[in-house]
Amino acid sequence: MLSLTFKNLWARKWRSMMTAVAVIFGIALVAGTYILTDTTNQAFDQIFNESLAGTDVVVTAKSEVDQQDGSTPAFPAKILKKVDQVDGVKVAAGSIFTQGAILDDKGDSVGGGFAPQFIASTGPRVFEAVTYPQGHPPTSAHEATLDEAAADRADLKLGDTIELVGTRKAVPFRLVGLTQLGGSSFGGSSIAQVELPVAQKITGKEGEYDQISIAADSGVSPEELRDRVSEVVPKGLRVETAQENADRNASEIRDSLQFLTIALLAFAAIALFVGSFVIFNVFSITVAQRTREFGMLRTLGASRRQILSTVMIEGLIIGLVGSLLGLLVGYGLAAGLSAVLKAVGAELPANSLQVLPRTIIVSLLIGVGVTLVSSLIPAFRSTRVPPIAALSENLEVGGKNRVVVRTVIAVLLGLLGLALVATALIGGKDGGSGAAQIGAGAVCVLIAISIFAPKLVSPAARIIGAPLERFGGLTGRLARENAQRNPSRTAVTAAALMIGLALIAFVTIFASGLSSSVNKVIEDQLPGEIILQGQGGILPFPAGAVTVVQKVDGVEAASGVRYVSAKVDGKTASISSVDPADIVKVYTVEWEEGSDSDLTGLTDGQIVIGNKLADSLDVGVGDKVTLTSQKGQKFPFQVSAIMKTDSIALAGEGIISQSSMARDFNQKSDAVGLVKLDTGADLDQTQTAIEDALKKQDFPTVDVLNQGELKDQQKSQINGLLAMIYVLLALAVIVSLVGIVVTLILSIYERTRELGMLRAVGMSRRQVKRMVRYEAVITAVIGAVSGLIVGVIFAFLIGIPLSGDGFNLSYPIGTLILILILTAVAGVIAAIYPARKAAKLDVLEAVSYE
Amino acid sequence: MESTLAAPSESQSSASPIVRATGLERVYGEGQAEVRALDGVDVEFEKGRFTSIMGPSGSGKSTLMHILAGLDKPTAGTVEIDGQDITGLDDGELTQLRRDKLGFVFQFFNLLPVLTAEENILLPLSIARKKPDREWVDQVIDRVGLTDRRDHRPSELSGGQQQRVAVARALVTKPAVLFADEPTGNLDSKASEDVLKMLRAAVDETGQTVIMVTHEPDAAAHGDRLIALRDGKLVHDAPPVSADNVIELLKTLG
Repeated sequence: MLSLTFKNLWARKWRSMMTAVAVIFGIALVAGTYILTDTTNQAFDQIFNESLAGTDVVVTAKSEVDQQDGSTPAFPAKILKKVDQVDGVKVAAGSIFTQGAILDDKGDSVGGGFAPQFIASTGPRVFEAVTYPQGHPPTSAHEATLDEAAADRADLKLGDTIELVGTRKAVPFRLVGLTQLGGSSFGGSSIAQVELPVAQKITGKEGEYDQISIAADSGVSPEELRDRVSEVVPKGLRVETAQENADRNASEIRDSLQFLTIALLAFAAIALFVGSFVIFNVFSITVAQRTREFGMLRTLGASRRQILSTVMIEGLIIGLVGSLLGLLVGYGLAAGLSAVLKAVGAELPANSLQVLPRTIIVSLLIGVGVTLVSSLIPAFRSTRVPPIAALSENLEVGGKNRVVVRTVIAVLLGLLGLALVATALIGGKDGGSGAAQIGAGAVCVLIAISIFAPKLVSPAARIIGAPLERFGGLTGRLARENAQRNPSRTAVTAAALMIGLALIAFVTIFASGLSSSVNKVIEDQLPGEIILQGQGGILPFPAGAVTVVQKVDGVEAASGVRYVSAKVDGKTASISSVDPADIVKVYTVEWEEGSDSDLTGLTDGQIVIGNKLADSLDVGVGDKVTLTSQKGQKFPFQVSAIMKTDSIALAGEGIISQSSMARDFNQKSDAVGLVKLDTGADLDQTQTAIEDALKKQDFPTVDVLNQGELKDQQKSQINGLLAMIYVLLALAVIVSLVGIVVTLILSIYERTRELGMLRAVGMSRRQVKRMVRYEAVITAVIGAVSGLIVGVIFAFLIGIPLSGDGFNLSYPIGTLILILILTAVAGVIAAIYPARKAAKLDVLEAVSYE
Repeated sequence: MESTLAAPSESQSSASPIVRATGLERVYGEGQAEVRALDGVDVEFEKGRFTSIMGPSGSGKSTLMHILAGLDKPTAGTVEIDGQDITGLDDGELTQLRRDKLGFVFQFFNLLPVLTAEENILLPLSIARKKPDREWVDQVIDRVGLTDRRDHRPSELSGGQQQRVAVARALVTKPAVLFADEPTGNLDSKASEDVLKMLRAAVDETGQTVIMVTHEPDAAAHGDRLIALRDGKLVHDAPPVSADNVIELLKTLG
């Protein structure tokens, strides 16, 4: 019996391969995700280990509140003296390693993409992990080195000028050396090194260090030395062995990649979910077509269990083959993706791709599991074939249409799904578990719809087929009848497509809503025409820039906004500070309780708090809250007013005074500058004047945007993300298109005799092809329309609770119609091969086919 | 061969019945749409004999065979095979019964296209996980004249050859009863003759019991005994004399 299974699979190898495609894509994404993240993690492990080559113990400051830019606080340099005196310390040195900007001689950033740039200090040779393929370390305050990869990207040579920007104006340096860290690159990030005092000055950390590196006397273990050093340093500092430090840094990277991993795996799950529909369909059709064979096997004495196991083993093997191929494709995907990342300048640290046993095991388990579960129902159906089926010519198995049972199951599942989604949304569960619950709910709803779908196929096919019948005549009519003939088959095929399209419609609507909501906020809340931001919108820019802009002709007011992440009564929130003098001219706050005078009159120790945060902390005006800084210091604040939190969160979730921000939270750089022009000032002219003034005053990292540009920038960020999601969802759509191809081919095989008859009575090849194509289009359009409807409904439902936050859905009708047309075209493409196969059938053979 | 085997059934020969059906009724549908496919049939089949079942379409001949073979359940009455009442058996017990005691030959051959002729023949044994008796298998294959075709796929065989594979497949387990459902319905006369001779030989040479449903007088004439049904009732039970004789009989049945 087992060899029979293999022979059957081999005889149907083409079909089996197509079925395997249903899991290949999903598994490829699973494997690719793991390989990519493992490779990245492993590379960072190596970077951190190599960068601590000569170091035994590391002293850094603890970060009580994680900052959005990932920075850690600096600590007083005088601690080094205490460390030096510890018994067993051979060498100890302080260093700086801070995010900044590195520009080439033309003022352009040397970095590519979003990879960060660092300004670092050089130190004693023993701690220096870098080598110098060219040049030497800086020997004066006017010299700097740059990592080789960044120099290559920016086309910089020794002797060229580079500019470094920290918390002050840009400072020029002569490039005297190119660096390399061990065998690996810096993972796309750029690192410039200067002498320690210079680094401290640029980064605004005079008299401070980011880190103290310690080498131990021989005979003293790192652990021993760590314990001794811990006794002399203040409590806010962290003392670790080099190994511990490398491990912690690596695990932080790991955590930050976690989100990406989960997101990618979620798309893999979608592709696999769609694939399970395809597998279910192929197995259902195959089982139906083999009814006579199963009946015959039963008459020969095969037990139900034997029939079940032949089908299940087929599933097992297809799942196994699909998973293995998926692994291979995943490997290719990871290789391709890292090449792409390299091309856009965010290259992964150079390393061979990591394929861990976990990747292989998980891929195989998931692939085989999905295939088996999807083939379970058809497999059980095959056991219901009675032996007498061997004797009958036509016999529908499982023909009992338990309409009531189906409807009840569909309705219950649908309600359960909606309840899951609703409770997740209303319950306000945070991130992971909430998203998982919404996902589970969506899966329930989608399955419910597809159980119910066969009922809808006939009317849907009639409507969608109507124009085809009008133009295509008989072929259109037959195509429509064929689509209706086996409603559950068409329904499952269309449902697979529906899932992908529902998600596409959902994200399209959501993104468009996000864009228009952001635009609305920009229009409503930023009366200023010009916005200043750090390069690429990521890094803060030096405080002096706003002062420069204030003096430009045509500028009425310019106001900088600073941010810091702090804990407000234990809850992490983004807190901003503004310049009270001009803020109300450039920023419109919507008040829940309070007025603009609360903002202009904001004093140290007062905080204006966002309504959401106020609600979750249950505080009102006059109440006291405690803010905890990154260094762990606690400061009491009194709530002076409550504002509405807007969707671009320009003011964060709380506003404090500029001086509190500088003194208590050590933030002296602006992240955003809001500029209002004099009435009558020319926008273009003034914008150019501001740009020139900033360049001339050595603030090259400040981007000057007008409102239109800001909107475009926001929109292109949203669209960039949307494009990525489209690509990932395309995998699921491709899987469902493969489903259309397989289903059509199997149906044609079933209708061989009928097609022969049609050809015998005069149907041309061209007509046969057209008929098959129309059927594909009908199926695809049913899937697309239902997907779009489901997507719109979901977006609408999820948009309801968000509307309070100023988020308004907008429906991009044009885009949705375009998606519908593209899907119909995809249906035609999916039909190419089946149509050709159908047209090629030999008339005589088809008629005498047994 | 021996005259005893050709003895008329009404003589109540000493040979023991291998299949015994008592008071068989089979009703399909209800009320207005009620169809009595079998309406009180009592019949016995003795070991080592070749019985043909005939009757016009709708007479109940196929239903009778399905019930005798345990493929369908009677509305009333019992069927015993080799002394075992099969009417109350569950699916597992019926499966075991098929493995041990029943063989089938179908009108549409029902071979697996992915297996060779020999693999098709051995299929019932591999399903039951029994070791084939090589000598017997070779003998069966030889008897159906497929020794030089044993590695061919069904698609490489003629209709007659395919049906001979099916006969060999039914014989290979030495079933207590071999049921044949219109085994020549899809064959030309030469191939039909071959298949019928093989069934005849199995009865004569190895004492195989064969029950065959057919509507072809020529086929029926190969049997030891001919029973005929009409409207669900047994209306004729005698040894066939000749094909012409059978045709006459069919005419009287209408």
